[in-house]
Amino acid sequence: MTTTWESPGSDVVPKPGRAGMSDRMFSILLIAPAMLVTLVFAILPLVQALDVSFRMGDLSRGKLGDYVGLENYRVVFADPAFWSAGLTTLKFTIVAVGLQMILGVGIAFLLHSATFGKGLTRSLLILPLATSAAVTGLFWRYLYDTQFGVINWVLGSFGLPEPNWLGDYTIALWSVVLFDIWQWTPFVALIALAGLQALPKEPFEAAELDGASRWRVLTTLTFPLLKPVLFLVLVLRTIDCVRLYDAVAVLTRGGPGTATETMTFYLYRTGLKLFRMDYASTMAVFFLYVMLVAAVFALTPLLKQFTDRAKES
Amino acid sequence: MLRRKSSWPVEVLRYGTILLVILFFFFPIFWMVLTSFKPESAIMVSPPQFFFTPTLDNYAHALVDKNFLFYVKNTLIISVISTLIVVAFGSLAAYSFARFNVGDGHILFFILSTKMMPAIAVILPYFLIFRDLGKTAIGKSLHLGLDQHGALIVSYVMFNLPFAIWLLVSFFQDIPRELEHSARLDGLSRLQVLRKVTFPLAAPGIAVTAVFTLIFCWNEFLFAYILTRKAASTVTVGVESFFTLQGILWGPVAAAATIAVAPMLVFVLVMQRYMVRGLTFGAVRG
Repeated sequence: MTTTWESPGSDVVPKPGRAGMSDRMFSILLIAPAMLVTLVFAILPLVQALDVSFRMGDLSRGKLGDYVGLENYRVVFADPAFWSAGLTTLKFTIVAVGLQMILGVGIAFLLHSATFGKGLTRSLLILPLATSAAVTGLFWRYLYDTQFGVINWVLGSFGLPEPNWLGDYTIALWSVVLFDIWQWTPFVALIALAGLQALPKEPFEAAELDGASRWRVLTTLTFPLLKPVLFLVLVLRTIDCVRLYDAVAVLTRGGPGTATETMTFYLYRTGLKLFRMDYASTMAVFFLYVMLVAAVFALTPLLKQFTDRAKES
Repeated sequence: MLRRKSSWPVEVLRYGTILLVILFFFFPIFWMVLTSFKPESAIMVSPPQFFFTPTLDNYAHALVDKNFLFYVKNTLIISVISTLIVVAFGSLAAYSFARFNVGDGHILFFILSTKMMPAIAVILPYFLIFRDLGKTAIGKSLHLGLDQHGALIVSYVMFNLPFAIWLLVSFFQDIPRELEHSARLDGLSRLQVLRKVTFPLAAPGIAVTAVFTLIFCWNEFLFAYILTRKAASTVTVGVESFFTLQGILWGPVAAAATIAVAPMLVFVLVMQRYMVRGLTFGAVRG
């Protein structure tokens, strides 16, 4: 069978009176509005950020200044606070994504094995996802409160230590992680559960007939079959964690000190609190570059899935 | 999955753990709603109060003193208009990608890669662009300046289009092209086919996309925080205004937060069948 790109009507003689617009023309007209928006509002800021990253840009002194070549890049890359913020982002991402994947997949297996209560649990799990991190994150400060917070009250009544969740610089970052776990573990769990429920039955029945152990079934059948779904979840969660901003902004504002200052928050503070648009734009360019490289690796498998489907239909 | 008969201790452990899971994920929202009905005397106390005489004072404070409905109105206007534009532009583009594979995957890749763009990295250019746009004649008539609705709408359209297109493509791919073929044979023009055959068939998918876009716009914080001051601020920024020098008024915060999240919670419960598909860009047909 030959696969050619034919429109639904390309083998039909166009109605008289109507100019026979080619498929190509029609398809381009269809994507034009979306492309226009994307091109203007994705490329324009990029160009602007690039431009500012090569100039003096201390907005507290007024307008943008002269071109200074790579000076801003030299300053930013030599800035210990920049790398320390990068490290904070890295720590946050690895721990948050790691725990969310483990807990989420665990919860998915748990729910999959349950015979009742599944529907209700699923409904309740969805709720954190629908809330804005800026809103519920703010309320978590009340839960974390050392005096009136529920969390320390529970810990206290079990005789456990009552940490200063957001005030202690050694644990503040992990408190933000805990909030992110609360909001996003359900995402991993729901998708892993959908993946589990969509698994084909036959291989598992065959394995049971062969008397394979549970562990063997898990490692040789379940996980390999779930891999594409889990990879997708991993990619989506990693993107979100790397550009985390809302939770930090409402929970800790980067503090105490700079203990929870992630890349995004440092960028924000440099640009809009210190008005060093030049340094902030340089970081933004660097950030965009890193994400673009990551996109190529992460999106290629997803895109392949799409083109395969396009060829089938 | 294998289902072997489990002994009762295993069952107790299983449902006990499920109960813990529910408690952890549901409690913060439950506590927020509960706190919104508490009198002040039951909020700033230790130990936390589970039983109290409910009051609407916090809602009165949020709605009357802080005029929180103003933020709700802004949010509604901005989210609904953004969603309509996203769905309109997105549907046309997604149909083109699904049927004609325009750009052979490369354009789609470009559009999707903008989804990975960290908002914070473009927020400074956006700030400068909208500041300047607001001073031009076109910008003035379209309210594109800082602290105006148009600036947020444009930002939200830009940041939600990639997701919407990707999701819609998966829905359009599910519609058999034979139906369009026969409609063409019946003498309908391309646009008529789109309007009378394809879009009605894709309506459920378009609705799901619209709901997702609406939720994302409604919950957005960064753009709203930086591009608005007061006149065009949305609920996520409005809640922040409950910070005072005396500290945070938890009762009114809880009331405002409940108002801010309630519409989306209801939406999600209604749409939960489609949530999984939406959350994974249509890759997992949950």
